[in-house]
Amino acid sequence: MTQAIETPGVDAEMVDVAGAQVAVRRRGSGRPLLYLHGAGFTGRWLRIHEALSAGADVIAPEHPGFGASPDREEIEGFDDLVLHYDDLRARFGLEEPFDLVGYSLGGWIAADYAVTYPEKLRSLTLITPAGLEPPIVDFFAMEPEQVFATLFNDFTNVGEVMVDPNDIDVAVHMYEEASTVAKLAWNPRYDRKLARRLRRVSCPTLIVGAENDRLLAGEQSDRYAELIPGAKLVRIPGTGHAIPIEQPEATAQAILEFNGGLA
Amino acid sequence: MKELQFFHFGLMPYPNIPPPEDYESTWVTLSNKHYDPVVGHRLYNEYLDQAVLAEKLGYDGTCVNEHHQNAYGTMPDPNVMASHIVARTEKIRIGIIGNALPLHENPLRVAESVAMLDVISGGRIISGFVRGTGMEYHSLRANPAHSRERFWEAHDLIMKAWTEDGPFEWRGKHFDLPYVNPWPKPYQQPHPPIWLPGQGSMETISEAAKRRYPFMMVFAPLAFTKFNYDMYRRAAEEEGYEPAPEQLAFCTGTYVAETDEIAHREAKEHIMWLFHRGLKVPDYHFFPPGYTSGKSLRGMLMGKEKFNIKNHVDLTYEELIEQQYVIVGSPETVVEKLKIYTEELGAGILVGAGMQVGDMPNWKVVKNMTLFAEEVMPHFRPPGNKPAWERGVPVPGSPESLGGVPAAQPEPVGSTA
Repeated sequence: MTQAIETPGVDAEMVDVAGAQVAVRRRGSGRPLLYLHGAGFTGRWLRIHEALSAGADVIAPEHPGFGASPDREEIEGFDDLVLHYDDLRARFGLEEPFDLVGYSLGGWIAADYAVTYPEKLRSLTLITPAGLEPPIVDFFAMEPEQVFATLFNDFTNVGEVMVDPNDIDVAVHMYEEASTVAKLAWNPRYDRKLARRLRRVSCPTLIVGAENDRLLAGEQSDRYAELIPGAKLVRIPGTGHAIPIEQPEATAQAILEFNGGLA
Repeated sequence: MKELQFFHFGLMPYPNIPPPEDYESTWVTLSNKHYDPVVGHRLYNEYLDQAVLAEKLGYDGTCVNEHHQNAYGTMPDPNVMASHIVARTEKIRIGIIGNALPLHENPLRVAESVAMLDVISGGRIISGFVRGTGMEYHSLRANPAHSRERFWEAHDLIMKAWTEDGPFEWRGKHFDLPYVNPWPKPYQQPHPPIWLPGQGSMETISEAAKRRYPFMMVFAPLAFTKFNYDMYRRAAEEEGYEPAPEQLAFCTGTYVAETDEIAHREAKEHIMWLFHRGLKVPDYHFFPPGYTSGKSLRGMLMGKEKFNIKNHVDLTYEELIEQQYVIVGSPETVVEKLKIYTEELGAGILVGAGMQVGDMPNWKVVKNMTLFAEEVMPHFRPPGNKPAWERGVPVPGSPESLGGVPAAQPEPVGSTA
């Protein structure tokens, strides 16, 4: 078992990406690693970021319509997000192939990026990625408490992302982020075409699966690993869908071992 | 005396459902195994007979609406219901309040259906446009995040289809049509009156006021209705006019009986069905993400706090009466309460007059509708108690009702080539 580490506060910097204002947190040294978050857990530098920053220069932007990044009308779907992240890549001067990590919704975006620009990636890591199949539950039809109960298998670290949904500011912010998710993935809640496109991914790929994912069927990680040529699958014991919160250090270690960040 | 127009409106519920503690929501997920079509056949025909009765009793109008996959109101296609009523009546105005525009794949279908009804009926249709409740977006999987945009684009497309000669091309974000050229065009010129029923979102109210469309509050407490009317008035002021009473409607259930005591005894259980069962809906069904803006949600949550607005299922009968979600009593009591709307709030249209609610049996509905027509309406009409359609009073929302001023149309959302 890896040790929990001290997580410093890291302020977001607002960065202009081809006209979009994007909140980005960045810390660490080593090769650049772009980390794409999921449908929530925004607004702060998390333990997963800090653990990754021990072996990489972690660049953690917030998607348009999440955290402090304002929503953009121009972003209508995943194709727009792929272009947005390629603009962001250029803005940060990542001219050499870089390491891309995506969690859940961010995993879906990362997979789309990898099938569109396979040559631009040094490695790809997908943590409980969405996109290949619809979720097994309707997460748009849940009370906030149910959402947490669905996302987490191990509640030990839930405090890192726990919020008070009765606070109006929190409720409005959560609703706005959910609205961005709806805009992208209300219907359908997966990409029928993704399965046949994943063959295009050509960089070393790691899939990080959960032991008991109650949001996305665990087999979805297996399928990702099958469909991406040469992909490796690891499962973090004891985890649910919220892997990066439940086991941040173990997750980071698996990623850094895979992409050579620990070398 | 301040006049009031009376629109009959029944929701056409399917009342035979399990006790509320046994299911999550009366919408979206309540299994349709509970629907018995033989019972449904009887109910539909009773409900439609009630709409036809409204004409005989001299109501100014009768209304239908659109909801999907629920027991609260079994009218997934309001135009089918309107068609039936058109065929069985001669004079009464028929409000479709309304077609849920964003749920339609192609809004031309709405333009066509409503125009057909308007032509067949000789211009008796009022065309309400709504977004549909949040529940509809779960049921039909239309994207709630596109709801507002699709609503206004569909609206602009329909209005242009009704008022300009085709064929023309429509090139919008959500709809792209090479030949917009509906046959028939509506009977009423320039188009049937448009109403906008709402739940009190700032955006809807200001857009309604901009176009002088009658705005209707649905099942809201008196204080909240007043708040929203004030918002409409301010928006109208910004447009440089003062709204006519016919621009302010309220949808409130009413039940009249010989005495207050009899009225409460006869109505209570059915009103409780409506609020505790028909409207048993979890917040996540009511407000799918993107259905409302963050700004509107904040306003709504703060308004709820400020006006102490409870969820429908948490309201007691006493609160429903006290806050005037519903109006129940003797003719004197009902007249007195309606006068608050006409005298203090400046409203001109009551929708839901004598309505069937919940599991109310036919005899009570007929009794309620009759007493209401004979004992309440005369207090808000010139001597003779004649309906608007017999007195030549223009339809609310028509250019004539707005003093000859046609509804203004801001630039359409889509472009035309």
